Amino acid sequence: MDATSNQPDKMASKTASSNSLDSSSKSSSLGSKHGAENGVLRDTPFAYLEGEEDQDQKNDVTYVCPYRGPVFGALTITNYRLYFRSLPLRDQEPPLVVDVPLGVIARVEKIGGATSRGENSYGIEIFCKDMRNLRFAHKQQNHSRRTVFEKLQANAFPLSYSGKLFAFAHAAAAQPTTSNANAAAVSAGCDGWAVYEPLAELRRLGVPNDMWRATKLNESYGICDSYPAVWAVPKAASDDFLRRVAQFRSRCRLPVLSWMNPRTQATITRCSQPLVGVSGKRNADDETYLSYIMEANAQSDKLTIMDARPSANAIANKAKGGGYESEDAYKNVEINFLDIHNIHVMRESLRKVKEACYPTTDDSKWQTAIDSTLWLKHIRCVLAGAVRIVDKVETMSTSVVVHCSDGWDRTAQLTALSMLLLDPYYRTVRGFEVLIEKEWLSFGHKFQQRIGHGDNKHSDADRSPVFLQFIDSVWQVSHQFSNAFEFNEHFLITIVDHLYSCRFGTFLCNTEAERVAEDLKHKTTSLWTHINSSLDQYLNPLFPSFTHGAEPVLRPIASVRAVRLWKGLYCRWNPGLCAPQHGCQRTRELLSKQDQLFKHVNELRLKLTNRSNNMQTTTRLASPMH
Amino acid sequence: MATGSNDMPDHRKRNTFTSYVAPMVGDLRVTADTNEWCLPSDLRDVHLAKPRLLSGEQIVASAPAYMYSPIAPMESSSSNSSPNITNNSSNTTSQSNGNNGSANRLSSSHKEASFGLLSVTNFKLAFVPLHARNLLPASASTSAAAAASSSDLYQENTFLGRNEVTLNNIDQLYTIAEQGRAASALQAARMASNSGRRKKLEPAKQQHINGRIVALHIICKNFRLLKFAFQQQDSKLSDYGKLIASALARFAFPMRHDLSFAYAYREPYYATPIPGVSMYASKNDWARELIRCGATEWQVVSASAVPQLQNRLQACKYTLPPHFVIPKGCEVERFLQLSLAFCDSRAAFWVYSYGSGGASLVRLAELQPASQQDNKLENIMLELVRKCDERRQLKLLQLTDQLPSIQDVQRAYQKLRRLCTPETPEKFMLQDDKYLGLLEKTNWLLYVSLCLRHASEAAATLRASITCVLQESNGRDLCCVISSLTQLLLDPHFRSIDGFQSLVQKEWIALEHPFQRRLGHVCVASGEQAPDSEQSPVFLLFLDCVWQLLQQFPDEFEFSQTYLTTLWDACFMPIFDSFQFDSQAQRAAAVNEARLVLRPVWDWGEQFSDKDKLFFSNPLYQRQRGEITAAQQHHRRSLAVGGGAGGHNNSRLLGTGAGASPSRYTINPQLFATQSSVPQDRYLQPAHRILDLAVWEQCYYRWLPVLDIRGGGQPQVDLFHRLLLSNIAKLQRSIELQSFDELPDAYYDSQGETRQQQQQRQEEDQPVEYVDGVERRRKSNPATAAANGLQQVVNGGGGALQLSTLSSFFPFGNPIAGDAPHELYDILSSSSELLLDTSSMLDKSSIV
Repeated sequence: MDATSNQPDKMASKTASSNSLDSSSKSSSLGSKHGAENGVLRDTPFAYLEGEEDQDQKNDVTYVCPYRGPVFGALTITNYRLYFRSLPLRDQEPPLVVDVPLGVIARVEKIGGATSRGENSYGIEIFCKDMRNLRFAHKQQNHSRRTVFEKLQANAFPLSYSGKLFAFAHAAAAQPTTSNANAAAVSAGCDGWAVYEPLAELRRLGVPNDMWRATKLNESYGICDSYPAVWAVPKAASDDFLRRVAQFRSRCRLPVLSWMNPRTQATITRCSQPLVGVSGKRNADDETYLSYIMEANAQSDKLTIMDARPSANAIANKAKGGGYESEDAYKNVEINFLDIHNIHVMRESLRKVKEACYPTTDDSKWQTAIDSTLWLKHIRCVLAGAVRIVDKVETMSTSVVVHCSDGWDRTAQLTALSMLLLDPYYRTVRGFEVLIEKEWLSFGHKFQQRIGHGDNKHSDADRSPVFLQFIDSVWQVSHQFSNAFEFNEHFLITIVDHLYSCRFGTFLCNTEAERVAEDLKHKTTSLWTHINSSLDQYLNPLFPSFTHGAEPVLRPIASVRAVRLWKGLYCRWNPGLCAPQHGCQRTRELLSKQDQLFKHVNELRLKLTNRSNNMQTTTRLASPMH
Repeated sequence: MATGSNDMPDHRKRNTFTSYVAPMVGDLRVTADTNEWCLPSDLRDVHLAKPRLLSGEQIVASAPAYMYSPIAPMESSSSNSSPNITNNSSNTTSQSNGNNGSANRLSSSHKEASFGLLSVTNFKLAFVPLHARNLLPASASTSAAAAASSSDLYQENTFLGRNEVTLNNIDQLYTIAEQGRAASALQAARMASNSGRRKKLEPAKQQHINGRIVALHIICKNFRLLKFAFQQQDSKLSDYGKLIASALARFAFPMRHDLSFAYAYREPYYATPIPGVSMYASKNDWARELIRCGATEWQVVSASAVPQLQNRLQACKYTLPPHFVIPKGCEVERFLQLSLAFCDSRAAFWVYSYGSGGASLVRLAELQPASQQDNKLENIMLELVRKCDERRQLKLLQLTDQLPSIQDVQRAYQKLRRLCTPETPEKFMLQDDKYLGLLEKTNWLLYVSLCLRHASEAAATLRASITCVLQESNGRDLCCVISSLTQLLLDPHFRSIDGFQSLVQKEWIALEHPFQRRLGHVCVASGEQAPDSEQSPVFLLFLDCVWQLLQQFPDEFEFSQTYLTTLWDACFMPIFDSFQFDSQAQRAAAVNEARLVLRPVWDWGEQFSDKDKLFFSNPLYQRQRGEITAAQQHHRRSLAVGGGAGGHNNSRLLGTGAGASPSRYTINPQLFATQSSVPQDRYLQPAHRILDLAVWEQCYYRWLPVLDIRGGGQPQVDLFHRLLLSNIAKLQRSIELQSFDELPDAYYDSQGETRQQQQQRQEEDQPVEYVDGVERRRKSNPATAAANGLQQVVNGGGGALQLSTLSSFFPFGNPIAGDAPHELYDILSSSSELLLDTSSMLDKSSIV
C-alpha cells in the first residue's frame, strides 16, 4: 500500500506526485484499484468500471502540471473519467497519472487560440469541484482540442446536453453480469439502499412511545414535497392539525423529530422558519404544536429554539415573509441565534481556501492566508452551535427545535452534528451512513442544486459546500476524539469524492420524492454498497472494539486554537503536503499481533479443554478480576 | 464565589473573612499558631492553610487571597458561537446555564474563586485553598476520596503542589491597583478578570509600589498565568496585595545566583550514577562517544591536564569547558592559541561523527570582533578540521545569518506566551478570532521551521560524508539547537530516553549553554535600554523542535511529549543543578565555595513517583532488535572504556580534577579503533515548512481549561496503545505459563465470551438490542444515566474500560473533577509497567 514506508529513509513527504487519483495515493478514494474488483480489465492503464465507455483519446497531449511542469502523454476520456498518463522519460520514474471523474468537473474552458504564441498556450483548462484545476495543452493544428472539449462538455455536463448521469449506465451495466455478486452483497447486508430504514431507526430511538408516534402522512409527499415519507411527531398532534401547522412554516417544513434521548425523552426536532413576516403574524396551531413538543419531554418545562442564522439575517427574513418565533407569542420558549452564515458566505470562504491551498502554498504567509479565508471561524461556529444543542439536550434535558431559513442547509448541519456528538451509534460506519441518509438525504438537502451534478452552470448561486462543511466538522471532531469513531479519514474523503463523482446514486437529486420518482434504488447503486463491501480500509484502528460503548457524549472544543485546516482533504493534490501516518501503521501492527495471540490462546485453551474435563473450564471462568 | 455566605448574617459579610470561611468539619484550630502571622484574629482559620515547607525553606510573606483560574470552559463555549453577537438572548442563556446547578458543573467550579492562604517562601509561591474542595464540583459525592483521587490523575511533584510555582518560574508581575473607593472582594475579583488597569512591576528598577493592590497577575515562564485577588481591609490593616507583591519583587528576581533556594535547600542527597546517561563530565565519556561514532581523527582534551589552563593567570583568558574534543592534528597549545581569537574561546569542538568516512559535526564560534578583519585564524582552524575528514570535505553552516538571534527568540516566545495566557474570556475570544494571524506574527513556528530546516541540512551534509561545521557568534546558543537536532535526526540512540539525556548533557550542559542567563535565573540589572537582552528560551525552542519530530515520527522516540513538557518545567526547579549554570566553571565554583549540592535533573525519582515517570515513555516506540535499555540492564551497552560511565558521573569531582586521574595528556581513541556503531539506515527527514508544524498544545495550552478536550486528544490514543501493549504482554505471559486465568478483557470480548462477573452485570443491564444488525445497549440504564458529562471511567467491576474522562493535557491541566476512580490509574500503571518489556519484545521483525 505504501511503498515508501519500507524504505530506510523516513520521508516525511511523499516523493511521488499525488496530484492525481492514482491508486497509490492514500488520500484519494477514486482510484482504479478498487474499481478493478468489479471492473472489466482491458488493455488499458486503468480498470474500466461497468458501463464505462471510451469517448475520445489523444496521444499527444501535454499536461501542465503545477508541480512538475509540462508532462507529455496520452489523454483518454470516457463517459466516467478523464485519464491522463505521461509517457515515462526515464524507466525509473513512475508515470504521472491524472484520473478525474467527470462529475468532479465544474467548468471546462478553452485557452489560447490557434494563433497563440508561446509553448503550451493552446489547450483546455478544467476547473474542478475538489479544489484543483487541470491544464492541458494541445497541438495547435487541426483543431486538435475540439473533440476533447466537446466530449468533456457532453459527458461532464450530461444534464445540460440531455444525457444521463453515469450512475445509471454504471448500475445498468452491472445488473446482468454481476447479478450473483449483487445478490451476495445484498444477503451479506452490504446493500447500501437498505442501510437506512426509517421505522427501524425510529424504533432504535424508542419511537413510538407514549409521547411520539410515527406517521406515513406524507407518504405521497403531498404535505411537504421536500420531507421524507415517514415522520415522527408528537402523539398529541392529529393528522389534520399537522397539515395546518405545515401551512405556517416555510415550504411546509413543519417541526419533525430528528433524535430523541431514549433516557430523558429530550428531543431534537427540525423545521424551517415560521412565516411570521413583517407584521409579526401568529399561528395558534404552530404555538400549540411547539408546546406539544415541549410537553413530550417531562424533564423540562422549557423549549429551546436554535435559529442557526445570525440574528440580523433572521430579522431581515421577516421582510420576505419569514422570520423567527417571538418569545412573547410562544410560551416557555427561548430562542438563540447561532450566527452561522448563509450558503453564499460559505461558498466564498471555500473559494479562498482553494486560493490558499492550490496549486501552491506560500509558507511565509500560510497562517494569515488561512486565517483570512474565515473557513475555520465558520467551522468553529458550526461546532459551537452543535455543542450548545448538546448542552441543552444532554445536560439540561431540554428539547431543542433547530431551524434556519428553509431548514435544509444549516439545520441539517446542526442536527446531524449534534446527533453525532450525542449518540455513539452515529459514530460507527453504519450509523454514519444512517445519519447522512436521514438528516441530509431524506430531509431534503438539495444535493443536486448545491453540487450541481451534471450541469454546466458553474456560477449558479445555489451551489454551496454546505455538506462538505459538515464532513469537515465531523473530521474536526474525529481529530479531537481520535478513538471515538469507527471510521477513519479515508472514509470521509471517500464520501466527499463520491459526492461529486456521480458514480453512485446516493447523492443524486434534491429530495426523497425526486429519488423515488427516479427510482434510484433500482436504477443506481448506493455508495454505501461500495463502501460496506470493502469495509476494512475505512476502519479506524484506534476505535476501541474492546471497550463497551465509547464516550457517550462528545463535547469538542470550538475554538480556532483547536480547529485546524483539513490538509488531508484541501491540500491533497500538493505533493508532500499530506503528512504520513506512521502511528496508525504501528497500531495496526499491534492489533494484528494481539489477534494472532488471541488465536494462539484459543487453540491452546481448546487443547486444554479437550484434554481435561469440564471442571477446569469452570475454574477458568471464575478467574478473579484484576 | 463564597458558597458559605448565604448562611451568614449580612453584617458579618461586609468586613470580615470568617463570613467567607466556614470552618471545616473537624476544625483544626487547636493546632493553629495564631500569633505566628500577626494577623487579625478573625483570619485565624486561613493560617491553617500553611504550605508544606522543604528543609531550609522559609516563609517570607503570606496573606489571605482568592485564586482565580484563568478562563472557565463554559463561558467561552457560549461566547464561542458568535464573536460579534449582540443580541441579549444569547447572553441570558449563558447566565441561565450558570444558574442551573448541575448544568455547568465545570464552569461554576472555575468561575468560583477559591479562598486560601497565599505565601511567598524563599523557594516558591504557594496557594493553599482553605476549602480543598472549592475547586471541585459541589456534586462530587464522596468528598475526601474524590479529592484525593482527582489529584492522582495529575502529575505530582515532590517539591511542588498543584497551586505552587517556584520563584524561578515567575517572569512577570502585574499589579491591579485599587480604583476609587475601597473595593470589595467581589470587585477585586472582577478586576482580576477584567485587567483594565494592569501595571507591570519591574523589580529590576526598584520600583516603588504605589497605592493599594487589589489583584495580582503572575505570568510564569512555563506559560502559566496565576490570578489572585485580595480582600480589602480597613485602612488600618495591612495591604495584602502589596505585601505579596513586594515579597515577590524582592525574592523572585535575585541579583545573585547564590540567593537561589538551591543553596538553602538542606536535604542531603546521595548521588548515584544514573545508568545509561553519559554526563560528559569525564574524559572517558567523550572518548566513549568518539569510539561509538568511529571518529579516529580527534582527541579529547581535559583542561585539568593542560598546564596552561591550570595556571591561574593564563586560565582566565579562556572560557573553556573542562573537557572538549579537538582535531588530533592540532597541538593543544596551538589550539589554545587559536581559540583566543574566537568568542568565548570556542574554536572548533567536535561533537559527533557519522558514517565510515569520518564526516564530523563540529561547533565553532565566530571570531572575536577585534580579530574579525582577518579571517586567517578561522581558515587555519577550518583547515585543521578539514584534515580530520577522510575526503577532506567540509561545509560551513553560518547560523548567525540564517537563524534568529536570541533576542528574536525571546520576542517570539513573549508573543506566543501572550497568546497562551489570555486574562479574560473576552481576550481569549479576541485572540481566537484572528488566531492564526496572531500566531504567525509571533514568528515562533517560523523559528522552529528554520531550526528544523538547518538541522536537516546539516544531517544531509553528514549523510553525504561531508564534515559539517556549525558556526554561531558564541557557539553556545543556536549551535546547541542545531547540533542536537542534527544528531537526533541521524542517530536512533539519541531518540531513547537515556540517549536523549546524554545528548542534552553533551550539547547543552557539558558544552555550556548559558542556562542561567537565558532562563533568567539571575535578574541582571543592566542598562535601562535592554534589561533582559540575555534572557531567551533557546532550550524551549529546541524542545519544541523535538516535539515536532515526535509528531511526525511518533514511533521513533522512546520518550513522550509529557517528558518534554516536564523537562521544560524542570528548568525552573533550582534544586537540580542541570539547568542552573552558565558554565561548568561556575558550577564548580558553586560547589567549592558555596557548598552547593549537585543534583542532576535526570534523577527523576527525586521529583516524581514511579507512576508519573511511566508517562515519560512513548507506547508507540519500537525498540530495534538487540537494543536493550540501560534501565533494564543497569549498565551501558557495549563499548565501555575503562571504568564505565558510572564511576565518573559523580559531579562533585567536576572541574577540580581531583578524581579524574589523568594518566595521559589526552586519550587517543585510535587505540580502541572501531567502526562507527551508529546505524546508517535510521535517519529521519522531517517536514519543516510552517504548514507542516503544529502548536505544542500540551506545553502551551495546558493552563487553559477552556481548551481541554475532555476524553479526547493525545492521552486517549496513548492510553489505547498502553492497553494494547498490556494485552499483548498478558497474552504472551499466559502462553508462556500455559495458564489462562489472567487473560485480558479484550480476549473475552473478541471471543464473544463473558466472564462470570460480566455475565452478572449484563443480567442487570437492559437486554441488548439489535438494530440493523448492530448491537446496541439501550441507554436507559439508570446507573449510567446518573452520570451526565462525566462518565464512569471504569464500568463497575466489569473491568471494561471506558477511555473517556482523561484530560487532553493529561498528566497536566486540571485533574478529573469528582469521581475519577483509582482503578483507571491502576490500569494505566499496570499497562505501563509492561511497556518496557513489551516494546522490546515487539520489534518490527516479530510482527508479521
